[in-house]
Amino acid sequence: MSTQDSPDSHGVYDWSWFTKGAAQLFSLPALILVSAFIGFGGLAREAGISLWQLIFMVPSIWALPSHLILVAGIAAGVPLLAIIPAVALAAVRMLPMTMAFIPEVRMPRSKTWHLLLISNMIAITAWMHTLQKAPAIPRNGRLPFFVGFAGILMVATTCAAALVHQLAASFPGYVMAALYFLTPIYFATSSWNTSRVPAEKLALVLGFCMGPLFFMVVPQANILFAGVIGGFAAFGFHKFANRRGSD
Amino acid sequence: MYFDSFDTALWPYVFILLGASLPTAIWRWIGVVLVGNIDDGSQWLVLVRCVSTALVAAVIAQLIFEPSGALASFPFYLRISAALIGFAAFLAMGRRLFIGILFGELALLGGYAMM
Repeated sequence: MSTQDSPDSHGVYDWSWFTKGAAQLFSLPALILVSAFIGFGGLAREAGISLWQLIFMVPSIWALPSHLILVAGIAAGVPLLAIIPAVALAAVRMLPMTMAFIPEVRMPRSKTWHLLLISNMIAITAWMHTLQKAPAIPRNGRLPFFVGFAGILMVATTCAAALVHQLAASFPGYVMAALYFLTPIYFATSSWNTSRVPAEKLALVLGFCMGPLFFMVVPQANILFAGVIGGFAAFGFHKFANRRGSD
Repeated sequence: MYFDSFDTALWPYVFILLGASLPTAIWRWIGVVLVGNIDDGSQWLVLVRCVSTALVAAVIAQLIFEPSGALASFPFYLRISAALIGFAAFLAMGRRLFIGILFGELALLGGYAMM
């Protein structure tokens, strides 16, 4: 850890954190994500997705909401040109997520194309878990930790989805429901713990309440609306609270 | 163009890439480019964190209010109350993820068993 501030460590990643990230396969978030993809494997099979198509789509898309929209679209016979905007709209959250993430893991001399490459591994679970662990990891170990963790997640979730697809495992309905239910609870509790300023907790509550409200008005873009409006409102609160605090 | 429009082995993979991989990845790439010159302590990053948190929260709400698959067959009041019970337990007992999940799942399956 003493290398954290030594001048020669700038721009050089400490790849020993890669294995520590990969070892996080045995963690609660990894277990939950693998469970979610067990559900997805069954869903994809029902939609008529072949095994190799499934193995291809899990890491190449790497965002569960995008997976779900694609597979539901294929099952319903939706044309490509209608699937693209639906996925793009649901994936806009990747933009602020990436912008919040990169400053936490980059080094002063990180190359942009390296960051572009690793940004493809950003999805809620690995993003959240890395942000949560980041304060305890020296800066030069954060990107390797993330790559190790997200990489092992990609392998594990692809294997889990493929296995369920092959076994055609038909778990009882309540087991599948319980598996699906892990994801929202994990996302909620983990974002609460990851937040740095009170405004982020407010953003969590606002986004949660506004999502279903906007679903009644703009069902295709409710997540985008709730995120942008809820996020700006929470930021407004942050500015207001800071101004009052500094008086 | 549809998923089964072309009878070639390659088309479904092109469809997956164009339909979902690219429209997802493009936002990550724009994010990397936009954040390039922003100072790490900038107020912009607080705004960005607020928006990303609210977006994730809206995804959470979607998973509970409009779930896909087996969870959709559970009544709405059961889903929302189980989620709230799990989150309340998480807040009340030391903010441990495990507690939130345990209580949420127990409430969901317990409620289902009583139906």
